[in-house]
Amino acid sequence: MNINLRVFCSLKLSIFIFLSFLLTWGTPLVSQERFRRSPPYPEPLPELNLPDIESTTLSNGLSLSVVRRENLQAISLRLIILAGESSSPKSLPSLATITANMLSKGALNLSSSEIEEAIESIGGNFSSSIYPDYSIFSFSFLEDYLDDALEILSRMILQPTFSKQEIRNVERSMFYDLVMKSTDPEFLARRLFFQILFKDHPYKNMAYNEDIIKKIDQKNILSFFNKFYIPNNAKLVLTGNLNLQTASRKVSKYLQSWKKKDLEYRFIPPPDPLKELKICFIDLPKAKDVTIYMGNIIFPITDVDLFPFVVLNQVLGGTPNSRLFMNLRESKGYAYHAFSELEFFKSCGIFTVKARVRPEVSYASIIEILKEIEKITKEKIPSYEIEQAKSYLIGNFPLKIETIDKLSSKISEIQAFNLGEKHWNKYLENIKFINSDIVSKIEKKYPLSPVVIIIGNKNIIDFLGGFEKLEVYNSKGIHQYNISRGENK
Amino acid sequence: MSKRRSYFISLIMILFLGSSSAIAQQKKDLPFPVTQFTLRNGLQVILSEDYSLPLVSVVIAYNVGSINEKPEKTGLAYLMENLMFQGSKNIGQMQHINFIHRIGGELNATTTEDKTMFYQTVPSNQLALVLWLESDRMKSLEIFTSKVERAKVALIEEIRHRKTSDHYLESSLYFDRLLFPDFAYNHPVIGDEADLREITIGDVKNFYSTYYAPNNAVLCISGNIDKRKTIQLIRRYFEKIPQGKKTPSLALPEVLETKSTNITIENSLASYPAFRLGYRICSPYAEDYYALSILEYVLLRGQTSRLYRRLIKKDRIALDLNGGIEKKFDLAAFKIFVINNNEILRERSQKAIFSEINKIKSNLISEKELIKSKNMFKMDYIKQFATSLDKAIFLTEGFLTRKSLDDIPEDLDRFLSITRYDVTRIINKYLGEEKILINIKIK
Repeated sequence: MNINLRVFCSLKLSIFIFLSFLLTWGTPLVSQERFRRSPPYPEPLPELNLPDIESTTLSNGLSLSVVRRENLQAISLRLIILAGESSSPKSLPSLATITANMLSKGALNLSSSEIEEAIESIGGNFSSSIYPDYSIFSFSFLEDYLDDALEILSRMILQPTFSKQEIRNVERSMFYDLVMKSTDPEFLARRLFFQILFKDHPYKNMAYNEDIIKKIDQKNILSFFNKFYIPNNAKLVLTGNLNLQTASRKVSKYLQSWKKKDLEYRFIPPPDPLKELKICFIDLPKAKDVTIYMGNIIFPITDVDLFPFVVLNQVLGGTPNSRLFMNLRESKGYAYHAFSELEFFKSCGIFTVKARVRPEVSYASIIEILKEIEKITKEKIPSYEIEQAKSYLIGNFPLKIETIDKLSSKISEIQAFNLGEKHWNKYLENIKFINSDIVSKIEKKYPLSPVVIIIGNKNIIDFLGGFEKLEVYNSKGIHQYNISRGENK
Repeated sequence: MSKRRSYFISLIMILFLGSSSAIAQQKKDLPFPVTQFTLRNGLQVILSEDYSLPLVSVVIAYNVGSINEKPEKTGLAYLMENLMFQGSKNIGQMQHINFIHRIGGELNATTTEDKTMFYQTVPSNQLALVLWLESDRMKSLEIFTSKVERAKVALIEEIRHRKTSDHYLESSLYFDRLLFPDFAYNHPVIGDEADLREITIGDVKNFYSTYYAPNNAVLCISGNIDKRKTIQLIRRYFEKIPQGKKTPSLALPEVLETKSTNITIENSLASYPAFRLGYRICSPYAEDYYALSILEYVLLRGQTSRLYRRLIKKDRIALDLNGGIEKKFDLAAFKIFVINNNEILRERSQKAIFSEINKIKSNLISEKELIKSKNMFKMDYIKQFATSLDKAIFLTEGFLTRKSLDDIPEDLDRFLSITRYDVTRIINKYLGEEKILINIKIK
């Protein structure tokens, strides 16, 4: 018994030594191969600590939000004017855009080039972006120059000149910009998409072409500016190494004389989604491939369906691992790419599918996309696909707010739509909560397919003979003629 | 029993201490923490912690690029970059990309004259996954004839696409041949179609085994990391990858003198006349480079720079203007490219440029203009470490070019200490009569 025990002990000992030898000096041969064979398990994900958004409203009604981020050495300022293209008169689309582009083009005793000089002197960059519901001015600069930046901004807002010469310059540059874009299939598709989807709705203003630009004069601009560029219709967001107290003191100093005015609240009703399939074709003579842009109106960003729908969209077409890409590119070899996207405005959202395909399979590609949409709205999505989509959305979220500019843009969107914390620090929780059953509950409410825009060389129309009716447009979005099945053109 | 345990512990200690040649002290004077050390197989490692978001970026740079290519084998470095995504012993073809996308990560790769970099940013709990992927393709890339041929076809397609989409490409290649007469520096990274066709599987295997070894690479990890655990992971995945042979020393720099040239060529796809003006300047690592960088901002950066104001805004004689300093390893040039509406305006644009250069040569720029140029420079400089990936690339490039990170902290101050006198001195020294001017005619 004793002997046996000793043998057992010494055996244990030698195994121990052998094992420790393996684990240390001898590692490579055995264990190395094993751990290389399959991907390692992830560790638990550290918590995402989002910076707080501190907000206040100044005495003139200007809302101010500050997001503190240290060690950036730069500040990002966003001025949001809560009026975008949908506020342009129906007869003068593009007015909101021209007004926004004019803001940096001259103030009292400060020419357009002196403004440029002042901006670049603080390492700055100034630009504007115009959306259906609001216009955003982005101004980033070195952090030592907050006072200078606010001074420049206040001069532009409080004493703009809108000189006729500068209006001509801005209109000329917008005109040439649109002419240049008239060979960009995705730009043309989006424009026609807005034109058809929003028929009589104010969002249709986004679909203006170059012919309207020169009709806008100084009087139109002044009237738009005076009506909408008021502090109680504006929000300011500052991101950088600063606190709300300092920021509000400084902003008040430079912008307190910006006078509050009455502004009638304008409710923009949600447009109705299209209910029938509508196929449109734009002839782009030099196009080698075919671009497909299709989709419909969905709910606004504040809807309860938002988070399950974000997950559904991810499964359908968010990345190259999603269904559309895997089917149209990897499996069928029809497409160079195929993705789906969600975009939100105040009164509605839009769902779009974008693909670039080989001409001879353009009909087949559209049919495949429609099939995928039908499948995802009718069949329950397997849990593993839902989990994979969530894992992408959760993992990718921090990348969307990594730079000071991306962070400011995200926060500006939250402020412009008045979204609150559900869309900021509760975003990930909302996504984590989604499962296959929740997604299946939303699915049937949204007809996802109706408007289909196809852009390509006219010679490829023969490949589209499978459709009942094809509406043909020119590159300015003007309807040319229709083709019915069996007809030759 | 206790003896045994202490024996076991000491074994681990020996392993731990012996495996890396001294972990360097953390440097305090960079705007972010940096730790640097070398594994036994020669792999250089740089770590930088940043806890602001749960992200981590991993960059692996191999010290090889198009300057290592031999004549008639151009495009090999870029082909190799592509093959790195075609699968290794434990990872299937294109699986690397799928693994990263599935977890919400982003990835890319780039080949330049002097380096090939692979980079990815992922949720920080997935660091091990990235190290698993990167180490597998460093250790055991699978190179088959079919893969090489497919990658060659894809690259040839890319070359053709570039030729048709970049309407001034022809003139750009010609310009580079005049500006950098040395073959190693003047051939395009993407390679030549005829050369690519002739590249064999043997060339690829040889290139891989020579240059894609741990002793020819830098691994930089930046982001939300636990330093101790990260070092353990790096050891686990990389330390046992065998060291490669010493890489052959480059048959360079055979730095040839640039000959002043003024010629007119036809660019078959160009729809507007244009011209390219170039000056060879000092090495990016020479003292004069700091002043030249500020001069670049005075002349060409932003809408208030001298040339933009003159050609685009004031005289309205150019349709497009761009350019700046271009670095090619230890060589550099100052390039200007202008597109004009017609040939008369082209003439006028050239005169305007020389007149602006001459103004700075004979008159000091104002203090205000200097501050503006430096502030714009500073803004661009700090953008180089805006994200964890930017930071990792910044550190990797800094290390590759200087072989040390020691003087990076003072780098920005050197640029910002340039005076108005430096600007005048430098423009007189480098932007003189020795220049390359190519007039591009349309067909």
